[in-house]
Amino acid sequence: MRKKFVFILVVLIMIFSYLTIASATKALRSTSDRPANLPFVSDTIRLVLITQELDTPFWNKVGQGALKQAQKENVQLEVWGSYGNNQDDFLKTMEVAIHSKVDGIIVQGLDNEEFKELTKVKAAFYGIPVITVANDVPVEESLRKTYVGSDQFEAGEMVARQLIKEMGTTGEVIILGDQEQAYYQKERLAGIEDVLSKYPDIEMIIRGTADAKEQVMATTQQLMNEVPRASAFIAINANYAGPMIQEIGRRTQVEPYYIYTFDDGVGSTALLEQGMLDGILAQKPEEMGSESVKRLMQWISGETVPLDSNGYLTETRMVKAEGEEP
Amino acid sequence: MMTIQKKIWILVSVVLLIMGIIWLALTHYNQKTQEQSNDILQRYLRMNEVTTASQQIITNLNNYLLEPTANHKQQIEKSIVVIEAVQQDVTELRNVENAFSVTNYIHLIDSLIETANRSVMFSEKHEIEGSTNEFNEANRISMYISEMTLTILDRELKTSNRFYRGIIKQSEELKKLGIWLLLLITVVLLLATYWFSLSITRPIHQLTKAANALSQGRFNQQIEVKSNDEIAFLAQTFDEMRININDLIVEIQQKAQLEHELQQSKLLLKESQFRSLQNQINPHFLFNTLNTLSKKAYLDGAEETSDLIVSVAGLLRYNLKRIDRSVTLFEEVVVLNQYMEIQKARFTDRLQFKSDIDKSCLDVKIPGLTLQPIIENAVIHAIEPEQDGGTIWFRIKKDGPWVIIEIEDSGQGMSREKMEQLLKGHIVPIEGHSTGIGFQNVVKRLHLFYGIEDLVTIDSSEGRGTKVVIQIPSAREEGNDDEASYR
Repeated sequence: MRKKFVFILVVLIMIFSYLTIASATKALRSTSDRPANLPFVSDTIRLVLITQELDTPFWNKVGQGALKQAQKENVQLEVWGSYGNNQDDFLKTMEVAIHSKVDGIIVQGLDNEEFKELTKVKAAFYGIPVITVANDVPVEESLRKTYVGSDQFEAGEMVARQLIKEMGTTGEVIILGDQEQAYYQKERLAGIEDVLSKYPDIEMIIRGTADAKEQVMATTQQLMNEVPRASAFIAINANYAGPMIQEIGRRTQVEPYYIYTFDDGVGSTALLEQGMLDGILAQKPEEMGSESVKRLMQWISGETVPLDSNGYLTETRMVKAEGEEP
Repeated sequence: MMTIQKKIWILVSVVLLIMGIIWLALTHYNQKTQEQSNDILQRYLRMNEVTTASQQIITNLNNYLLEPTANHKQQIEKSIVVIEAVQQDVTELRNVENAFSVTNYIHLIDSLIETANRSVMFSEKHEIEGSTNEFNEANRISMYISEMTLTILDRELKTSNRFYRGIIKQSEELKKLGIWLLLLITVVLLLATYWFSLSITRPIHQLTKAANALSQGRFNQQIEVKSNDEIAFLAQTFDEMRININDLIVEIQQKAQLEHELQQSKLLLKESQFRSLQNQINPHFLFNTLNTLSKKAYLDGAEETSDLIVSVAGLLRYNLKRIDRSVTLFEEVVVLNQYMEIQKARFTDRLQFKSDIDKSCLDVKIPGLTLQPIIENAVIHAIEPEQDGGTIWFRIKKDGPWVIIEIEDSGQGMSREKMEQLLKGHIVPIEGHSTGIGFQNVVKRLHLFYGIEDLVTIDSSEGRGTKVVIQIPSAREEGNDDEASYR
């Protein structure tokens, strides 16, 4: 009886000890995965990369490159911006960045008055350096420190040359851009025109369209009606390539057409892989990101003052559908 | 020594200590969790304060622009002070995750203050357009601040999500831990109390058992209590008492034995006295008569008869006097000779008495009437029944520390069984002894007198005579005890 009693107690003690220890290890484990406080004002340099097209493959790469470079330079960098070319949001973000007194702004150039006003007046007022990336706005209009990205004129030339190489020197080429063309589009178009104008047998049909999918499709339809014998398409706003191809596909086969665009569109790479596009002009987004941070830091640290206002150009190349180099 | 009181004190203190430690630990952890959640709440409250303060500035600025009075200006200044204080608070909220945003946030507040100041400045210079522009900008900045507050809060929630859930889980675990701990302590306490009570009751139980045994008269069982408290002390004392009682009992038993022996010797003495008295009815009359007879015989010329009567008288006197005291061997020998004189007169030639006495041994003390009954036995058994009579040898000699007295006859002897019966006193002495003292009486008195057994041996076989040997220590201490025991 006594032994039984003691035995039961000992067994209970063992069970409760186990439960207590198990519970204690759980309860007393420190849950300090909360970020540590920084009570002192750390004077690390804060940079902002602002784009209108967050979460697109192209701009993600730019952001990655910039972040990598920022880490290397030991500065803080955040990628801000708006989604889907929302200009109001984009400008607001820009203004917030300026009022937040960041140490430098890397921005996708936007060729409109508000943007120029912000960079020229506000940013300059607070003494914040602005660098444009991928899409440039002329220095006279924006007072940007420099531009990092592709030479859009040359990019246009490369696309045109590729077109001639594949299509030959005769044909009608439809060129689709924005109604109000941004500076980079103008450059691209200038490049294309520069090449194609040398071939008298090539006819260029240049058309702008509004910034909505339906509008792009409508314009494409209209163009195809107007120029039924067109043999090539070039979308100088890469985002229009998708709706354009969709519209073409609805009417006829896509294969016979020579369709080209640039890689900074939402679906450019995917369309190329599907074989819808004959070629895209590939840029170096990551290099743009890292290069822009590098240049901005050079300016901030006073290493290179002033920066080359003509810009620091990154490589471009044509990528064919089969993946073969032109 | 560990007293029971001390034991109780220790048990209670240990329990209290453990309870205290657990209570403190639990309170500590609870407090920590509470502090953490307070901290979190405070963060959110502070950020919210920024929004409120910035909106307050805008309201005040608007009031001022509409109605530029000193009072309104003061209000603006006041709200600027408030927002600066809040800004200071917000600075402390920076951590690794949100450093960038919070720094931006702080600068936004700076911008707001600067813009508001500029607006006031323009207003003072009556540049309405400038001040309105700045006011609009300040308004926008205030809006950005609100938005940013939300952004930061949102991010805070996201990054700290796991942490918060950790806190909730931890507090739940803490609750569980409390329950398990309570149960564990309860069971441990039960066990400890059980052992503790056992350590007190077990010795008491042992002691009770020992007391029971003692009360039933078992004094030789040792009392053993394995503990180190008062009960062990009690048990030890109890054991000592037991030993003492045991000793006393043994002593009493020895005394009783002694008493018994004394009683026996007294009884023997009484018996012999009784016997002698029975045989000596009016011994003085007999004695006087014998003396008269002796003289008459002498006057009548019968000298031999006169001597015989004197011997009888001497024997009678000795008998009267010496029965209850020790005498020397010499006196015994004299009486023996007197007795033999009488027997010779009776048996004439039929009785041959030969004695061989070492005179140096005659001072030895000996109980009275020791030898006479034995000689008488010899006469009765070896001379009386024989037609031709017989011989009795009487020898006293020295053998080391012993004096050997031998009485030998030439009678028929006796069987071994009879010899043993005689020594053990199973044969009732037959009538006819002159002194009324039997062989057995002699043996016992010798034993009592010297305190040594087997002083008398019989050497006999049928048809070969009997030899009784008495050996007595020659140097017997002249203590008082013999006198005492014979008085």
